[in-house]
Amino acid sequence: MDTQQEPRKTFVVPIGPQHPALKEPGHFEITVDGEIVTAATVRLGYVHRGIEKGVEQRNWAQAMYMLERICGICSHVHATAYALGVEALAGVQAPPRAQAIRVLVAELERVHSHLLWLGVAAHEGGFDTLFMYSWRDREMIMDVLEGLTGNRVNYSCNVLGGVKFDVDDTQADAIRRAVDFLEPRTHHYLKVVTTDETLIGRTRNVGKMTFLEAETLGTVGPTARASGVPRDIRVDSPYAAYPDFPVKTITATAGDLEAKFVVRIQELFESYRVIREILDKLPAGDLAVRVKPRVPPGETVSRVEAPRGELFYFLKSAGGPNPDRVKVRTPSLCNWGSVLATAPGHKLADVPMLIAGIDPCFSCNDRLVTVRRRSTAETWTWAKLRQYGIEYYR
Amino acid sequence: MDLEQTVVAAETLLKPFTVGAPSREVSRIDVVIRRADLPAAVKALVDARWGYLAAITGLDHPWPKPKPGAKPAEPPAEPVGPIEDRLEALYQFVNGALVATLRVSVTYHDARVPSICSIIPSATLYERELHEMFGIIVEGTPDTGRLLLPDDWPDHTYPLRKSFKGLNRAV
Amino acid sequence: MNIELPPLVALLLFPGGLFLLSAGTVYEWADRKLVARFQNRIGPRWFQPVADVVKLLAKEEIVPDGVNPVLFHGLPVVALVGTLTAALYVPMAGIAPSYSFTGDLIVTLYLLSLMTLSMGLAGANTLDRFSLIGATRALTQLFSYEAPFLMALLGPAIAAGSWQISQVDAYAQGHWWLVLTQPVGFLVALVGLMGKLELPPFDSPEAETEIVAGPMTEYSGRGWALFRIGRDVELLVGLTLMAAFYLGGLANPIEFMLKTGGLLLVTAALQSLFCRLRIDQTVGMWWRIGILLALAQLFLLVFMR
Repeated sequence: MDTQQEPRKTFVVPIGPQHPALKEPGHFEITVDGEIVTAATVRLGYVHRGIEKGVEQRNWAQAMYMLERICGICSHVHATAYALGVEALAGVQAPPRAQAIRVLVAELERVHSHLLWLGVAAHEGGFDTLFMYSWRDREMIMDVLEGLTGNRVNYSCNVLGGVKFDVDDTQADAIRRAVDFLEPRTHHYLKVVTTDETLIGRTRNVGKMTFLEAETLGTVGPTARASGVPRDIRVDSPYAAYPDFPVKTITATAGDLEAKFVVRIQELFESYRVIREILDKLPAGDLAVRVKPRVPPGETVSRVEAPRGELFYFLKSAGGPNPDRVKVRTPSLCNWGSVLATAPGHKLADVPMLIAGIDPCFSCNDRLVTVRRRSTAETWTWAKLRQYGIEYYR
Repeated sequence: MDLEQTVVAAETLLKPFTVGAPSREVSRIDVVIRRADLPAAVKALVDARWGYLAAITGLDHPWPKPKPGAKPAEPPAEPVGPIEDRLEALYQFVNGALVATLRVSVTYHDARVPSICSIIPSATLYERELHEMFGIIVEGTPDTGRLLLPDDWPDHTYPLRKSFKGLNRAV
Repeated sequence: MNIELPPLVALLLFPGGLFLLSAGTVYEWADRKLVARFQNRIGPRWFQPVADVVKLLAKEEIVPDGVNPVLFHGLPVVALVGTLTAALYVPMAGIAPSYSFTGDLIVTLYLLSLMTLSMGLAGANTLDRFSLIGATRALTQLFSYEAPFLMALLGPAIAAGSWQISQVDAYAQGHWWLVLTQPVGFLVALVGLMGKLELPPFDSPEAETEIVAGPMTEYSGRGWALFRIGRDVELLVGLTLMAAFYLGGLANPIEFMLKTGGLLLVTAALQSLFCRLRIDQTVGMWWRIGILLALAQLFLLVFMR
């Protein structure tokens, strides 16, 4: 074992870039002593697609569609953050009905994202039954979103200055039915994660983060709220229709994985409530206002609460048809610090759950490189492998 | 604490470091600070537990190249730094609805800022991103290995600078 | 039922050899299908395990650098041979064991352990980190469940007054089902069997979200196929042993199918009910609870006689 011949005698377990625990590529080097983790490092960038650079070459409207593709799970919040920012720069405001529909889709997306996370986190812990059930129920929301927007992901609901489509009564009824179905199911899941002995054995007191740690590590979203840090942009700085449809900040105090389960599941109830409220009191009016193709020069910061936490957009316009600079700071990036800080001391078996605990989204972190080059080494290996195969069967 | 109080608190904390007058919008306050004051300014905010670091944004302000035959561009109305190619790092702190931005300008040939990792350890990921994308060397950040760019990415090639037009031409 | 079979038939066709291989895949399918249905999935079709094995056997076997090739190729064979041999001493399909001697219970249990031992060694033989950690976990788990499992199976043997599987089977057929008189032993043996087979929630040696496939990570073709068949046969043998000891013996093929099928249903339900245990939780559970329960039962039996 070559790693054992090193003077420090560390045993490094590589997790990623390709690994069954990771649904997207990232690379972690977990140094272990037996089963105990002694250090953890992260290497990102495997899905960096150059989106920040890319939008500088596109006009304001095109940029939104590109930004929407930063993340496949929370695509709508990216478009919303951008649209709100551009509207602020252009000095226009989307009509109330459009803002309400934005929030409606955002909350549906939150439900779908949290159910997805519940399944993934359960799967990382080896609890496949919960995984299968929560993903089955998540299909309800996917169907609703497809019926509403035509897409299961990348809903493309926003335009600059409003939204594209309206919500009619049939669609509203379909959403209500889905929410009515999901609410008792969610109560059941809450019961499972708080009472199932084996699951509690894997989550309680695992990855514990105190209030102070969560605050100083700069965590956001459910990760911070599970440690009692009340950070929720929907409450702190209400945007879109959240001033009219206020939400309650859900916090827990324990700061362990179980608290993250509980916080996310309880946020689902809050989302169901907001969805119903919006459907009942959808304001009448236009769907969009016109935004000129050239946006006046200026800078703005636009923040929205993605399912994973605060999504931060910084937009700079030089007065031209293209954005001068779009900075995207996704919630996952903030929360990495918490994983790396809490991992040492835990068992190797806990690491996948710790990583899953912040609901990481690698595509959100990484946003670069459009250049594709074929590595010469790769080509050679493939040829060698092929040659080997031919000779083997000769 | 309401918005106005938060703004006043931030202004008071940052007053010793502010160059010129802070610019103000409804939920934003931008202060320009000198590079050397950056750690002290960040420490003032952190010690007072004023919000948290939300992002470090890099900006590239290449000085407009005069077209052949045309006269050189006019200097800007409010010069922030020397009149040449500049990079700017924006340290954005968030407290409730307010975003306070510390703006630090550096020139291309002296693109260095001090690290704030001793004050905010989690800032290292943002600092490494700043380094890789804009070539602003963050002095004292614990790990300077590649975070986002591929390992075989050429050195001294910074993709988010305006001069970067694709790898083949840049190499 | 007692049928005299020529030794070659017993070894190659029934109950050994061909029958075991096919029945093993059927039981694997039933297990996978049941778990799938419990998890609200469709599950595989009936020929899926056979198709998997055929595909694996046809695939190229890649021998990674740095392994001992003899061990790499030999260990899967040892594992399969161990379980196939063990099957000859149990009342497979409700037919009296092909071979029987005093103390064959102990031999059978050791032959079954050969499987886990081979997997552990196979993992330790490669240089892959996932394999190494998986091997450590597999062997750690072996040492935790083996003693309680053995003690739990000794319960019926003590009640029957014999360490010969065929005699315990005969005793069980003539008395109350031992699951009623020795429920604790049954429980320990059942959970021990799941640990032996590394079924969830005891699948931390091959926890895919942590260490990919554990000791089996580097196995691709024939070796992996042999390990898989070995595990199927082990499942079959384990269920047979459990049914013969605790569920009133196996008198004929119908009883065999019903009783092992019922046991499979229970294990499938247990597999889908729990979250995977960490290796320290597994070891802790066995040495803190499992062994104490098994010991208590054993002492009770010894004193009651």
